[in-house]
Amino acid sequence: MPVFNDYKKEIMDAAHNERIRLALSRAIASYRTNTNAALKKFPHTIQLAKEVKEIKAKAATQMEELVRIASEAIEFNHGKAYFARTADDARRIIGDLVGKDKLIVKGKSMTGEEIEIREYLEELGNEVYETDLGEFIIQQLHSRPMHIVSPAIHVPREDVAKLFDKITGEKHPPDDIAKMVETARLLLREKYVQAHVGMSGANVVAADTGTLFIIENEGNVRLSTGLPPVHIAIVGIEKLVPTLGEAFKVAEVTWRYANYTVPSYVSMVSGPSKTGDIEKVTTYGAHGPKEFHVIFLDAGRTELAKNPVLKQALSCLRCGGCLYECPVYAVTAGHFGDKCFTSVGAVWADFISKDREKAGAIAYTCLTCGRCKVRCPMEIDGAEMTVALRQLIEESASLS
Amino acid sequence: MIPPGLAYIADNIITKGNLLGAAKGRGAEWAKDLNLPKQGETIFFAGCGHQYASELESLSSLIRRIDKSAVGTDVAFGLANFQKKVGIDVTRLYSRVTAAKGNPGAEPLRDAVKVLSRLGIKFAYLAEDEPCCGGPLHYMGLHQQFTQQTQKAYDRFKSKGVKRIISLVPSCTYTLRQLMANNVQNYDLEVKHFVEVVAENLSSLTLRFPREVKVTYHDPCQLVRFLNLTEEPRRILKAIKGVELVEPEWTKGAYATCCGGGGGFEAVFPELSEILAVNRAKELLATGAEIIVTPCPGCIMQLKAGLKELKASNVAVLDMTQIVAMSMEG
Repeated sequence: MPVFNDYKKEIMDAAHNERIRLALSRAIASYRTNTNAALKKFPHTIQLAKEVKEIKAKAATQMEELVRIASEAIEFNHGKAYFARTADDARRIIGDLVGKDKLIVKGKSMTGEEIEIREYLEELGNEVYETDLGEFIIQQLHSRPMHIVSPAIHVPREDVAKLFDKITGEKHPPDDIAKMVETARLLLREKYVQAHVGMSGANVVAADTGTLFIIENEGNVRLSTGLPPVHIAIVGIEKLVPTLGEAFKVAEVTWRYANYTVPSYVSMVSGPSKTGDIEKVTTYGAHGPKEFHVIFLDAGRTELAKNPVLKQALSCLRCGGCLYECPVYAVTAGHFGDKCFTSVGAVWADFISKDREKAGAIAYTCLTCGRCKVRCPMEIDGAEMTVALRQLIEESASLS
Repeated sequence: MIPPGLAYIADNIITKGNLLGAAKGRGAEWAKDLNLPKQGETIFFAGCGHQYASELESLSSLIRRIDKSAVGTDVAFGLANFQKKVGIDVTRLYSRVTAAKGNPGAEPLRDAVKVLSRLGIKFAYLAEDEPCCGGPLHYMGLHQQFTQQTQKAYDRFKSKGVKRIISLVPSCTYTLRQLMANNVQNYDLEVKHFVEVVAENLSSLTLRFPREVKVTYHDPCQLVRFLNLTEEPRRILKAIKGVELVEPEWTKGAYATCCGGGGGFEAVFPELSEILAVNRAKELLATGAEIIVTPCPGCIMQLKAGLKELKASNVAVLDMTQIVAMSMEG
């Protein structure tokens, strides 16, 4: 079991890393306080979450149909929609659109991470900048994201200061977080203007109008998807819901359980920029992008939807709330996972990344304690999924 | 693909009929002088965790050695070969423990019997015929082996005329109540956890702890989140005069933190499991309690290890059965 042994070593190294534990214990305390306050201020969220659970569960049974409806809507809006059966297909489509020697500014995207699109575009000879501050730090450190919402959650401020010293040749005192943020702001500002392509994911997509909802606080997504002439979005097909009204509900529940009363920005993108200001003649490509491309990715999601227990993973909003409740995650961070983390991460590794050994290793790291379900707005039963996945792996192993 | 520590436990259950791989009948020794009937409609189900509590530590140290060795899963399945490879004689390891005077692990069991008897409940104990519920096999993902074991256990109950079970280990309780019901035909057992039985009959008990004491309660995962027994244990503790219940701000009830032993975790990641035990012990210590009460042998072992690591020798960990028995007047 070389995969398991390597993984176990990684997990134990993380567990002995006091800095990870310190960073996370602070993050957990602040998550609980913030989420509690957000739910107290907007108590309707709890009922809304129940409604969203139904919306998501139903949408997962009609993903192919929703892709068709959304694609029609996007084409109607003068955007381009693509369906990628596999991660390879998605990379190829995006690679063809981008070409080489381009500058790309990118918003944070779990799906982008899943298909390793940044690495792929770099291999093709492009320069890619992660613009989310956490992702930017991770990219510069050549590390990988350790949390869904806060990818650099395991990196203490002292390490960020050192990194920025190296990049700029200027001194960053560890306690001056504002200066570090300013450095990133200045560094990336010119990239937005020069970029040929902006990339993003989406938190939820309304099929009827073809509208992508992108939730953020930093403003980097607005700039990445607004300034460059081309916007390419990569979206897992589990993000689709039938209507705009339902998408609003999904978005609100997502950000609230991601510990925000309200995020600074929610971008709703349905097509390329346009104007009709000169004699009412609609002209595409005004101040924003001239081209808008959306790649809908399956990569095992349709298959996952057929599993009676594990299909729950498709309802995951990627709010990250469960991670703060996982006792193992509290000492290992994202090392307990792969492209995604904890029990959803195990399911993702098996069905989406198709890495059974990794999936098994993650599945056997789950305590099956069930606290993630208590936090989850979709009531995803992590313990139940873990056991079902272990069974699936065992059964296939004893058959082979 | 099952990690070796778990494969070893699975092998014990399948071949020896108990978690520890101990000899048949060993687990029933705690009740030798109690003269409990061996057959009846209502039985007390002690569970492997309590019955073999004194061996649990030996199992942990064995598993730690497995963890450090290069044993693969296939080797773990197949005990003789496996023991040779690890270099330990498990039978001798256990017999050494058996020879030691007394069996402190049996206290929660004897106290449970004392409390249930005080409540006037008539019950039997199957003793050496008590089957392993097989729960751990389910959590390991060994579905087929689990359904066989749970069917075997169910048939044993039926052959003994069992209709009602009072169970002490949260995991066994959930297995007997829910997983068994999902996996056998015509299931018709009524399964209750000890805390439910005591909470129902609380008015017939006068409870007073020998002194004024701050007590905190640790919710076992399966009891609080799988069986939804949140209020019952607290009702019991609040009914004990002299006990002041103090709890962590966040991590209580449905949000209680796992002790780190969940689902056989200590058999896969013994070292990490201990780190988690320390974390949970810290949360409980922060309440200022002198006694931690929890109704689960696994949690008790973990929390004791956590407290030891934190050098908190002034704080005791008790089973719910123990604090109730200690507080019964007359």
